[in-house]
Amino acid sequence: MSRKKTPKSKAGSTPASSLPTAKENGPVGSGAALPAPKAPRNGLLLPGRPSLSCSGDFYDVAFKVMLVGDSGVGKTCLLVRFKDGAFLAGTFISTVGIDFRNKVLNVDGVKVKLQIWDTAGQERFRSVTHAYYRDAHALLLLYDVTNRASFDNIRAWLTEIHEYAQKDVVLMLLGNKVDSTQERVVKREDGEKLAKEYGVPFMETSAKTGLNVDLAFKAIAKELKHRSMKLPSEPKFKLHDYVKREVRGSGCCRP
Amino acid sequence: MEPSRRSPPPSMETGRGEDEASQAARERIPRIDPYGFERPADFDYASYEDFFSTYLRILTNRAIKWSKLLKGKNSVQKNMKVKRYVRKGVPNEHRAFVWMAISGAQAQMDQNPGYYRKLLEGERNDKLVESIKTDMNRTFPDNVKFRQTADPCLQHTLYNVLVAYGHHNRGVGYCQGMNFLAGYLLLITKSEEQSFWLLDALVGRILPDYYSPAMMGLKTDQEVLGELVKMKIPSVANLMDRHNVMWTLVVSRWFICLFIDILPVETVLRIWDCLFYEGSKIIFRVALTLIKQHQASILEATNFPDICEKFKQVTKGPFVTECHTFMQKIFTEPGSLSTATITKLRKSCREKLLVQG
Repeated sequence: MSRKKTPKSKAGSTPASSLPTAKENGPVGSGAALPAPKAPRNGLLLPGRPSLSCSGDFYDVAFKVMLVGDSGVGKTCLLVRFKDGAFLAGTFISTVGIDFRNKVLNVDGVKVKLQIWDTAGQERFRSVTHAYYRDAHALLLLYDVTNRASFDNIRAWLTEIHEYAQKDVVLMLLGNKVDSTQERVVKREDGEKLAKEYGVPFMETSAKTGLNVDLAFKAIAKELKHRSMKLPSEPKFKLHDYVKREVRGSGCCRP
Repeated sequence: MEPSRRSPPPSMETGRGEDEASQAARERIPRIDPYGFERPADFDYASYEDFFSTYLRILTNRAIKWSKLLKGKNSVQKNMKVKRYVRKGVPNEHRAFVWMAISGAQAQMDQNPGYYRKLLEGERNDKLVESIKTDMNRTFPDNVKFRQTADPCLQHTLYNVLVAYGHHNRGVGYCQGMNFLAGYLLLITKSEEQSFWLLDALVGRILPDYYSPAMMGLKTDQEVLGELVKMKIPSVANLMDRHNVMWTLVVSRWFICLFIDILPVETVLRIWDCLFYEGSKIIFRVALTLIKQHQASILEATNFPDICEKFKQVTKGPFVTECHTFMQKIFTEPGSLSTATITKLRKSCREKLLVQG
């Protein structure tokens, strides 16, 4: 749709796959709308053999992830960094409406496809976008560490998420733009405290340097994969512990 | 994408290799279009040149007719002849003038001298200003006139127009998408004040309540499009129903951005010519034409993401680049579309939305 937002490969960045939505296969909506291979719990797809989507990416399971947060916190940039490994310095436009891109990750030998939805952050668009919350398996909630208001609004976002998203949605709080050390106004401790209060995993990210970006999506993918495919003998995957162990700090003196 | 008036391309020789032709076309066509947009990396120079050699003749012809029509006049009245002329495209050198006249923006500007300046000098709503600032670097970064190094830099004028408008129309304030509208208006009029009044014509009068916080008019029109597709292209409506694809997902940007960044620049401007003259009905004509023209391809989609992808594809390719033919199609392809039908559908869709909450 936008030539600016797809600086890299076209085929790979567009939604062209056979990933079903929860509306088609999941617990919400009209269950039997699509003759999918299997339509198990939580709206995910478990094909008998790896599926091949139009864009040519094989996968075993697929999930829907949404990026939410105030306007300008870096949702599109985070997505592009994860998807293409690039930073959109001054070449991207404000996201109007809603759009999605796919990326397949290898999680412990399983190909997990994430269908990642990028949304407009401006408040008035929420009435358009929250209709999509209920189908999301995971939500990445972003604020900008250089913008106090975007952090203060996180509580409002959480209220909105609790109202519209599924009860067992995987949620993660991300403080983005930590590369801008000079302009930082939200301390890491503030983010940690808020995340603890709501019991959600937290990390600081930088779409510019790539800090923790892959980790955020990988952690989500791991959690979703374990939830859907866990064998009885397998130990439970602990998202909080995983994030704590793997996360990198933004400064030199941080672990 | 859009024609370059600087270097009319010579007609293409035949019998040359495809690559050679593309290479030659690439050398003849400037990398930056007449509006200041960088052509995308995958821009198809050869087929563009092909199209443009035909379109140039049309442009020249229309320019002569418009010059005659406007000769010695300092205004233009709405009548059947002008309507026909507008549908065939307003030459860029007359665009600002014609848009101002037929939209009523000129009348508003004349009746309110100094009003725009006064808005800029007045007290500022910090929250509004902040939300506008967030989008300044994110409006047309691929346009050289919006770069901070440009002189004059349209980012500053864009900021002024949006701040003034947000204080003028407090019920709307600033909604993302308006930055693109105002940006286009500045590129065409090269005047802050005219852009302000044209933005007011669009947001305040021509588009029914698209940008206010509840976005009720936008949601309504998306549903109206759904109803029109049900009537005119039922197979596509069925497909959307079967896969539970909400219209808002595939068309919200069409409505909010009035096809900016969705269709080629020249095509968007041709659509806007008619939008200023004939009103918001044109948006439905364009949307229906895009869908109808590509219905066979859309119907190949077998799942939700494929449908979304198809709706992206319908806005690409020669069908939309060839703006003159495209604009003829929008008045024939969707069939009749009366104002009464639209009004009725808007009323029923709005009521349905209000019931749903």
